[in-house]
This record gives sequence, C-alpha cells and structure tokens, in this order.
Amino acid sequence: MSPARLAQTASFLLFAVLLYLAAFPLVPRLPVDAFLRLDPAAALAAMLAGRTWIPAFGSALLIVGATALLGRFFCGWVCPLGATLDVADRWTGRRGKGRFQRLAAWRPVKYQILLALAMGALLGVSLVFLVSPLALAIRFYGLLVNAAIDAAADALVEGIRPLARSLQWSPLVYADPEVPRFSLQVASLTIMALILAAGRLAPRFWCRCLCPAGALFALAAARPLWRRAVSAACIDCGRCQRACPMGAIAEDPRRTAHGECIVCQTCVHVCPTAAVTFPLSWSSSPLPAQPERLGRRQAIGAASAGAGLALLAMIDPAWPAGHDAAAGEGTGRLLRPPGAVPETDFLRRCIGCGLCMKACPTNTLQPAGTAAGLSGIFSPRLAPRIGACEPACNACSQVCPTGAIRPLPLEEKTRAKIGTAFILRHKCIAWEMNRPCLVCDEVCPYDAIALRRVPDLTVAVPFVDETRCSGCGLCHHHCPVRPDAAIVVEPVGALRLAEGSYRDTARRLGLSLELKPPAPPVPPPAAGQGLPPGFTP
Amino acid sequence: MSPSPISPPGPVWPGSWSRRRFLARGIAWVGALSLGGVLPRQAAAGGPADIAIAEGTPEAAVRAAVGALGGIQAFVRRGQKVVIKPNMSFAPDVERASNTHPEVVRTLVALCREAGAGRVRVLDHPLRQAELCIEGVKQACSPFDKDMVHGLDKPGFFKPVSIAQGLQMRETDVMQDVLEADVLIATPVAKSHGSTGVSLSLKGMMGLIWDRGIMHYKYDLNEAIVDLATVLKPQLTVIDVTRALTTNGPGGPGKVVRLDAVIAAADPVAADAQAVAMVPWYGQRLAPRQVPHIRRAHERGLGRMDIENLRVRRVTA
Repeated sequence: MSPARLAQTASFLLFAVLLYLAAFPLVPRLPVDAFLRLDPAAALAAMLAGRTWIPAFGSALLIVGATALLGRFFCGWVCPLGATLDVADRWTGRRGKGRFQRLAAWRPVKYQILLALAMGALLGVSLVFLVSPLALAIRFYGLLVNAAIDAAADALVEGIRPLARSLQWSPLVYADPEVPRFSLQVASLTIMALILAAGRLAPRFWCRCLCPAGALFALAAARPLWRRAVSAACIDCGRCQRACPMGAIAEDPRRTAHGECIVCQTCVHVCPTAAVTFPLSWSSSPLPAQPERLGRRQAIGAASAGAGLALLAMIDPAWPAGHDAAAGEGTGRLLRPPGAVPETDFLRRCIGCGLCMKACPTNTLQPAGTAAGLSGIFSPRLAPRIGACEPACNACSQVCPTGAIRPLPLEEKTRAKIGTAFILRHKCIAWEMNRPCLVCDEVCPYDAIALRRVPDLTVAVPFVDETRCSGCGLCHHHCPVRPDAAIVVEPVGALRLAEGSYRDTARRLGLSLELKPPAPPVPPPAAGQGLPPGFTP
Repeated sequence: MSPSPISPPGPVWPGSWSRRRFLARGIAWVGALSLGGVLPRQAAAGGPADIAIAEGTPEAAVRAAVGALGGIQAFVRRGQKVVIKPNMSFAPDVERASNTHPEVVRTLVALCREAGAGRVRVLDHPLRQAELCIEGVKQACSPFDKDMVHGLDKPGFFKPVSIAQGLQMRETDVMQDVLEADVLIATPVAKSHGSTGVSLSLKGMMGLIWDRGIMHYKYDLNEAIVDLATVLKPQLTVIDVTRALTTNGPGGPGKVVRLDAVIAAADPVAADAQAVAMVPWYGQRLAPRQVPHIRRAHERGLGRMDIENLRVRRVTA
C-alpha cells in the first residue's frame, strides 16, 4: 500500500473512531469534531455568515496554509468523503473516463459553488450544510450508516435472544442496542447516492467539479512546494494520465494541474520508467496545466444564485425577523438544544453536520427540516415525544464545532432553559377526566410540577411552575395520553444567551432551575384540604 | 412446590389457604430450626407470623423479618429461579427514599443464594434512563453476580399475558424473566403516591409490565392495579420501611421519615396494609381501607387488609 493510501486508511479509521466516540458519556477532552474543524468551506460559511471568528476553525486555516506548501493533500490523505469516493469509484468508475479533458467544462463549477456559498454567507445565510464534505460525511456515517448498523445489530440480537435464553448466556439475553431514529434520512441517502453515482461520469467527480472545500484547496495549491515532477525518463506512455483519479495530468504528461492534484502519488507507482517523483523543490518546472477557468459570466451567475438562495432563506417565515429578532429575544419558533445561541446567530453558525444528533443519548435531537427555513434544514431541534433532554448530559454542547451550541458545563446546562411545559387541560386525564394520573409529576427532575386538589374534581391535578421548569421534556415524553401528550413543551421562556452565565441569568430572572430541589414543607391538613392525595375517607 | 407467580386462570384461593399451608410447613421448619438455635428467640416462641415487622439495620432487619415468617426456605427451594422486584425507577439516592435501599435488595439476594436458588434476577422497568436508575442496587449486588440487576426498557423483553380475572384490564405484557420464574419477591420502598395514595408491593407490580400508561389512560387505575395483582402474585413481600417517603411520592423530594424497619409477609395485601397503618403519611394516621387499590384487592379476595385479625410479630434485630 502506498503511503498516501496508508494515510487515507488511517485517517478514515480515525474519523470512524471519533464518530463512534461522539456519544454520551463523552471521553473527556477528546475533540470528536476534529475533522469538521479542518473543513475550510464550513469555516468560511460559518465565520462569514456569523460575522465572527470561531477559534475551532483555526485548524482549517492551518490546513489551507499547509496546502500552499504541500499541495491538495487533504483531499487525498485525510478527507473521509474522498476515501469513500476512492472505494466507490472502483465499483462505479470506468477506466479511461478520468482524463484531464473529460468533462472539463464542469471543473469550474466547484468555484461557482464556492462563490455562491460565500455570497450567501456575505448576506448572512449559511447553506454550507449542502456542500461541506465533512458535514456530508458525518451526516451519512454518523446518522444513516450508524443507525442502519444499530438496527441490524438489534435485529440480530432479537433473533438470537431465544437461543441465548435457553443457553442462559446472560450478556446476550439482556443485550439492548439503542437504535436511533432520524428524520430526513432519505435526503442524506439521496445526496450521497448522487455524489457516488457521479462517479460514473468521472472518478472523484465531486472532488473535481463540486466540492467547495476542494475549490479552496485548489486555489491554494496552484503552485505548491511539494509537487509532481517528471524526469527525462518519461516515454509518453500515458499510463499516469489514465491512472490519475483527479485527471490532473495534462495531455503532455510532464505537465500537471497542481490545483487538481491530490498528491495520491498513483502516477509514481504506475510509471514504468520511474520518471515521476514528488520532490520538494523551488526550482522551475513546466508550466502547470490550467484546467478550464471560471468565466466572468459564470462567476456573476454563481454569485447571483448564492444571493438568490440567501434571499429565499430570509423571506421564509421561520427566519427570525421583527419581534423574533429583537435584542433580548432570539427564541425562535423551535425547541433548540440547551446552550443554543440566539436564533439568527444559531442559523448562521450551524453547519448542519449532525454531530449533536449523533451524540445525543436520548435521540431527541432531530433535523429541523423545513420548520427552520432553507438554511436550517439540518439544524437540530428537540422532539420530546421521541426523547427527553437528559438532565445529566451536556454532550451536544461539547461536540458542536462552531459554537452554535455553546459548550456548557453541567451546572450551566441545567439552567439553560429550553422552554416551558404547558398542560393541555382539555386532554389531561386528571383535569379533563377526573381520573388519577401523575406521571408528569413523577418524572419531572426539576420538581416543577405540583399536584393540588381543586374544587369540582376529586383527584389531584397537576400544575406547572414555569419558574422551575427547564423544558427538558420528560413530562411531554412520558405523558400516557396518546398519540399526542396532554403536556407539551414550547419554546416560551427559553434562555438563549450569546454569552454570559446561564446560572446568573436564571437567578436574575427569578428562575429556580435545580435538579435536587430542597423538599417543600409538608402542607398542614387544613379544613377542606384534609386527606393526602390518593387516599379516600 | 410453590405456585409460580403467574396464576393459571381459575378460582382465586382465599388467603386462608396459603396461611394454613404456611402454618403447617412453618411450624415444622421453625421447630427444626429453633432446635438448632438458628432463629431469634422471639420468633421461635409460637408459630410463624402472618406479618413480621423487624427493626434494625437494613440487613439485620430483613433477615429477622424473613426469619419470623419461617425463613427463606419457606419461599425459595434449591435450584429455583427467583425474580426480585425492587423500586429502582429513579436516580439512586438512599436518603430520598424513592428507591429500595440497596442493602435490603442485597440481603434478599444473599438469602436466596443461601437457600440454594438456581438463578436470581433483580428487575424493574424504570421510568428514567435505565443505567442510571439501577446503579445503586447494581453495585450492591455485584459481588454475587454482575449480570443480576437489569432495568428492562424495550418491548422485546416482555411477552403478552391474558388477565382472565381482570375487570378492567384483560391483557398486558409481562417480563419474560418473570413468566419463567418460580418465585417472585416484591421488595418495594414505602412511599406515598399522588394518584394511588401509596406505592407499595401491589402498585409495584406495574414495574414488571411494558405498557403502564394504558392503566392511567384507558382503565380505572386502582382497579387495573388489582387486575394486575391477579396474575402477578409475589410469594414473598418485603417492604423497605427503613426510610419512608411520606409526602410527594413516588419520586419526591418529600418528607422522609426514618423508621429503620422492614415488613415481611407472604400476603402482599397484608404487607401493604401494615405499611399503610405504620407510616405517618403526610403526618397523618390512616387506615388501609382508605387506599382504594388495597381495599379493592381485599374485596376481590386477593389478600387481607384487616391486619388487626392477623398474626403480627415484631422483632428487634
């Protein structure tokens, strides 16, 4: 195996391991979002749209800088999507379809996509979730492949369980793999299928013609220090041209389009006369081959498209505007993860990678779909009926690479109010049907629900104290009324702070968000109060 | 051969049948054991009780209470499969008294092992995240078997069961381990419950089925609890009254009263009734008949709530 292939394999394994470890409880101080931080397209969109420097993306700048010296090594040695394509292309790619001239008119499209992305970001809208290679890889492997593997494991365990029972092999009898469910899987599958299918047109079609990160690297790698050189031993056999996965070798095999070369060094290995090398060299070499350039009209078209899409996103009612966007508001219309910054900034920073959804232990974080407008399709929202927000967990805030969800220690996360629970009295078993139920009170970890007796009803009925409710959704999740709960969490009263302490803010606002609140005093049996709840005379 | 916890459909035997059986067997065992000087003197004097109340540390109290009923051998035979059902549905915190004290559970496991039980499982279907809730009990029991304690929260672990004597609820899904067990031991913690008054052994059987919500939503909760008790009948009930959650149960936080006691009985209704009478719920003294599901269980012949007519023995461990 060549060094490049070795590095690519090791890199993909590292990617897979980090993705696997993006789960609750997190390994302390392990940056599971490491690969996302290297993506310059995500960095560009998030920082430009958010008008802010995001420290995590310093690594992306370093990689771009390194690219100027070492060539487009990220694509060939590091990128997990590139690795996926190299494997897939062995199935889809056809020999002889990879040459330099092939689909030359498509090459500049990646610059157009980059330009559209930048234009949208300039206007304050980030659509990078559609085109960031790392975000695509994480959504595909972390949400789709992972869930498929878990579902298969679960089916296997269920099938073997009767056998395990009779053999009394306990670990398998009680094995209980968690099978996460996510909406919009069809979208992720379709996007990936299209990218892989494009391999029929040319190997690494995505990298050549579509990837905006690749476009940035191509710009940086126009003439790197470490680049392909061909000696006089070249016999013009053309083998390197056919073998190059990026079609970076021109009609004259001595000339290379360095911006397209991913330094995989396949050409070195296939050359029959060992004429190809990759020396570190300041010396002159044949002019680099220039693939099709981006025309002015195409550039203007791309920028307009970007601006147009941004506009579409902003005229959606889900885009925070008017009262929703007022200073001090920023709640938005959806239940966002605890620690999410105010909504406009949130939509700008979120790159739709899905890492928070992968890490969430209760599976409550789901893609928002159209509810958040065009730019928020893969932004996370809570779905309490699927899962509640576990009070002992702060995984989402720790894994988010852009700080769309601010990293919070547990005692801050506890006070990062998600919303408030509201009892739909007309559906509540106790309120409406005068029958005993107190599941909401039972599961509430903040002791925000109290049961009291009211006139005209013989059972005790629940009341929510909104100053104690954090919106975690345990009540919403466990309410036995089906299919829709009689107690629902809404974003009302959510705390969305761009900076500062949630704990202090909560206290200032008179909220009492405590996981182990002190026991309330025993109510003395007053006249009419009489019996404890549940007892009869 | 003790009856399996799942009764076949048919007439319900009145409580006196099992009392006679235990008297007969118990006298033989107590006689034999007291000759060997194993039992505390108080229990040896006069046959086994219907209800035993022991005071002391959790471990000593459990041993004394079970001993006063005739010893664990009266309930568990060599090689039998046992399921122990504690309360472990909330985050563990002994002083909050919303879960059974781990020492109580551990002592019961030890007793079953001493009786030569073939397989012992400690099971519950927790409300909150399973791994967190069972932690305290799991740690206490790990010296015996790391694979003993489980919080089962997946439908695949439960199998459908019909409730022939159900007035409201006629079917449910019960943990397969319970269906296969020879002996079921209920060991709830004494706590109040905002809907049912108290949550003790009868109410605790709800932790062995998959769909509890339907008991709130579709049926009359108290009647459904008794319906469930017609198929889930623990042979032994050991109620943890070392700390009782007297207000704001079942989760708390509420007023915890330390009684340092354990109640044991073969009749779950009697055990529950004793706990109702003994604990100052919301600072008041209340009667068993004031708890609807206990009253209905008595009326439907599943056990005795008239503890004043039963043999109650108090021991100090």
